[in-house]
Amino acid sequence: MRQILGIALNTFREAIRNRIFASIVAFAVGLLGLTLAISAASLHEEVRLMKDVGLFLVSTFAAFLCVFVGANLVYKDIERKTIYTILPKPIYRWQFLLGKYLGVAAMMAVQVAIMGSALASQFWLLEERFSFVMVQAIWLIYVEVLVVSAVALLFSSFSTPFLSGLLTLGLFAVGRFADRLAEVRLKADAGQDQGVLDVASALTRGLSWVAPDLSLYNVTPYVVYDTPLPAGFVAQATTSGVLYAALALGLASLLFSRRDFI
Amino acid sequence: MESSPILSVSDLAKTFSLGFLGAVPGFRRLPISVKGIAQRVEAVRGLSFAVEAGEIFGFLGPNGAGKTTTIKMLMGLIRPSAGLATLLGHPVEPGNRRQRERIGYLPEQPYFYEHLKPMEFLDFYGGLFPMTARERRERARALLDRVGLGHALDRPIRKFSKGMVQRIGIAQALINAPELVVLDEPMSGLDPLGRKEIRDLILELKQDGRTVFFSSHILQDVEQLCDRVAIVVKGRLRRIGPINELIEVGFQGVEILVGGLQGPAIEALGLPATPFGETHRFLVAERAAVDGFVRAALDAGGRLISVTPHRRSLEDIFVEEVRDA
Repeated sequence: MRQILGIALNTFREAIRNRIFASIVAFAVGLLGLTLAISAASLHEEVRLMKDVGLFLVSTFAAFLCVFVGANLVYKDIERKTIYTILPKPIYRWQFLLGKYLGVAAMMAVQVAIMGSALASQFWLLEERFSFVMVQAIWLIYVEVLVVSAVALLFSSFSTPFLSGLLTLGLFAVGRFADRLAEVRLKADAGQDQGVLDVASALTRGLSWVAPDLSLYNVTPYVVYDTPLPAGFVAQATTSGVLYAALALGLASLLFSRRDFI
Repeated sequence: MESSPILSVSDLAKTFSLGFLGAVPGFRRLPISVKGIAQRVEAVRGLSFAVEAGEIFGFLGPNGAGKTTTIKMLMGLIRPSAGLATLLGHPVEPGNRRQRERIGYLPEQPYFYEHLKPMEFLDFYGGLFPMTARERRERARALLDRVGLGHALDRPIRKFSKGMVQRIGIAQALINAPELVVLDEPMSGLDPLGRKEIRDLILELKQDGRTVFFSSHILQDVEQLCDRVAIVVKGRLRRIGPINELIEVGFQGVEILVGGLQGPAIEALGLPATPFGETHRFLVAERAAVDGFVRAALDAGGRLISVTPHRRSLEDIFVEEVRDA
């Protein structure tokens, strides 16, 4: 456990001291400020628009940042050979990966908390209540980040940052529409081969099974209309996300344990 | 009871499968090797040697000889294709705490987390071992003084020179007070002063009772430091033995410089002489004949200036092995 926490703390410290990270968070907070101006321009819909655009910005920035950091995470240590000094120490490879992941999770918690606080301050400026469902929505954005970070780490354990970033973004896009893709059944027009479309439909549905169902973590409609989430929804979505992340980390550890560091 | 070596490799081999098809398991077994597509490279071929506790062992070889690959197999960074590597009497096992807690390692051309300052850096590495925060702090401070970085405590590693990075790399390898220290090209990129400091440090480690296994290109350092050396070329062991024995095999005679001798006296000594001003140089082929020759030269009115045994240097032996491989 000591080794895992050591790696996590170092990963967190490295990210926090990175100027790019600070710039991205500052930019995202600035953009959130813009939502206040956009909201003000809309007639009687300020609050709804602010909730909608605000949550979109928080979740999108968080997802892109964790793809960027996650995809570079292990690769950078291998490329720069820092891993050569760590793995010969009394630490298993899975512990190294888990430590890296927890470091990113802590860093993303800070990022989501900063953006969530920026959003809450806008509610305060408009003298609007920051509802409980809003807090739940931000928590679910964080769970989504945990899932996407684990996927990024999985890809970065065996490929380059570019490829792992691309694969993670692909899986992220599929995951966002997983609920709809699971129902895809393409119908052939006259003269088209239905067999080919059936294969394409099956592949799409298969992909939606492999990808994490990220639609679970988008509860914006509930927030916009200030409707409580169904009982147990947050717990269920959190459990599902944590299990998916654990699966991705397990697979990453398996691949990583067999890797030669040439 | 005979004690087991602190480090050993037995028939150790590593073949890399390169190219985009090289990663496909089935392809590895096919007798095909096409550069860039599916290529096999034998980096280490049946290497066997052992290092005893308390010695400084030099691991020599030209670029591409398989030195770093062998060291990485010992450190658990690369899995051998065949053979066995043992550390502290047990097979190499990545992550094995009992084994890893007793080993220190510095890779070739190390690169560290640049955002860390020296104390944070050593605290991070110390945190991977069962050490309390106080032990880590005390040990880190002592090591930083020992490697001459006590003055740079407030500077992040990104502002370090190459020599300073090498020195803090050695400090991280020693943070756990290891019994066995493995250093891959520790003098690489250092100026003469830096090399001397590292040499002194390696000798201090030996005095402390630690075993040092290091690879190097700088033969002069190896000759000064090592008890024994192994020379590897193209993945195979070419020579192994104590430095003195290796050099002794290359005995090439004794050079004797004598001054004040005249023509007939020189001829009477019975050996060809090469004049250098008033001095003459003689080469005595047999060690046993040296005393007699010196006595005869003095009796003939000569003045003894120097007696220098001529041996092949480690460099001569190294070059010969590389050429013959």
